[in-house]
Amino acid sequence: MSKEALKIGEVSKPRFEFRTFGQDFEDAHYLMSRLSAVVPEKVWERQSDEIYILSKTNDINNTKIRDGKMDIKTYVQTVDGFEQWNPLMKGEFPMKKEVLANEVFPAFQVEMPADIKDELSYDEFMTIIENHPDLQAVRIHKERYGYMVNDTICEVGDVLVNGAHVVTINSESTEVADIAKTIKEVGLEGVENINYLQMIKRVIGWINKPLAN
Amino acid sequence: MTHIIPRYEFRAFAYSFDTIEEKIRSLSQEELSREITEIYLITAANSDNNIKIRNKKMDIKNLVQTKNNLEQWLPQLIGEFPMKSQVLEQEVFPSLGVSAPVFEKEEYSLKEFISKIIKEDPDVIAAHTKKIRHSFTINHCICEIAEVYVNGAFIKTIAIESEDPGLVTETKKLLGFTNEYENTNYPTAIKRIIGLEEWPHQYDW
Repeated sequence: MSKEALKIGEVSKPRFEFRTFGQDFEDAHYLMSRLSAVVPEKVWERQSDEIYILSKTNDINNTKIRDGKMDIKTYVQTVDGFEQWNPLMKGEFPMKKEVLANEVFPAFQVEMPADIKDELSYDEFMTIIENHPDLQAVRIHKERYGYMVNDTICEVGDVLVNGAHVVTINSESTEVADIAKTIKEVGLEGVENINYLQMIKRVIGWINKPLAN
Repeated sequence: MTHIIPRYEFRAFAYSFDTIEEKIRSLSQEELSREITEIYLITAANSDNNIKIRNKKMDIKNLVQTKNNLEQWLPQLIGEFPMKSQVLEQEVFPSLGVSAPVFEKEEYSLKEFISKIIKEDPDVIAAHTKKIRHSFTINHCICEIAEVYVNGAFIKTIAIESEDPGLVTETKKLLGFTNEYENTNYPTAIKRIIGLEEWPHQYDW
């Protein structure tokens, strides 16, 4: 079976991903930039502001809100140390109680409050999150720089987590072997694979583990 | 007994302080640089006590007063780990502003305290910090620039301290701190990073 060529910024079949977080990936970033194929100008540098909703009881669903739109991804499997996540739902505010009950709160793996209205605005939803003892909204600002190495989509990002800075580097592809080759070539072999949920839980003190450096 | 005169303090946090940092370095030589690691114990309920552990010693700074928007804190050494449950119950948890748990042991090592008592308490978060602190003296005030890593995430802080609040205010002006820079103490900054509180000038999300 021939592999599907990945295109940055376009939807593909579910990808595997290596991602890590720390303070210093300068050497790996340098190698990534030198090994990169030419990438479209639209991914040279991108900025976004997102809100991640963290749940103390959940590590397998990744919920974020960008520009008022909710996006939930769910963990599928790990192959050779690389994680595969699939889209679970996409929704927009105002959001129906039914969607919250059947898709959103099950993804958080917490009980939905009983006295919820038939439809919630973004602000009403955020108030529920704020008042829930097991849920927390975390503000994330991203500045991402895109590359393409060994047919894997790569990026280096400066990320602010509630205003504090971490650096991320990643390689993703439908092909696990291409990711393995890439992380070896940029010198990241043996570095812990840390996804966004894990990183945020560590920074906000829910998991007592350090970042990669 | 040593009599401690509490200093007045102004402190600000930001991702960078380019022009203010340049000004500090132009006015004074760096006198000392040191790296320290500390664990802050943070709760939503407490704002007036700064509770931290360094080298297995716990100290609690109490907010004495705020004057001209400057804070005066009084440090008090609580003790060293292993620490008696009685001290944890009667001094530490009341300062955290939350109820003490039932202690099963007479005393706790630091590792036991963090990995059992604090980890199990839903109201208390241990924030592991590394600070690289650079000291200066400007206008008779102690000034400090520090790179701070809160649970691995980076932020910068600049502080001005003196027993004389007038000197702190003068030095703030001299260094170019405008009113937009809020006086923010460590527990508040950490609370904002770990999401227990919002930064006042939040980005327009």
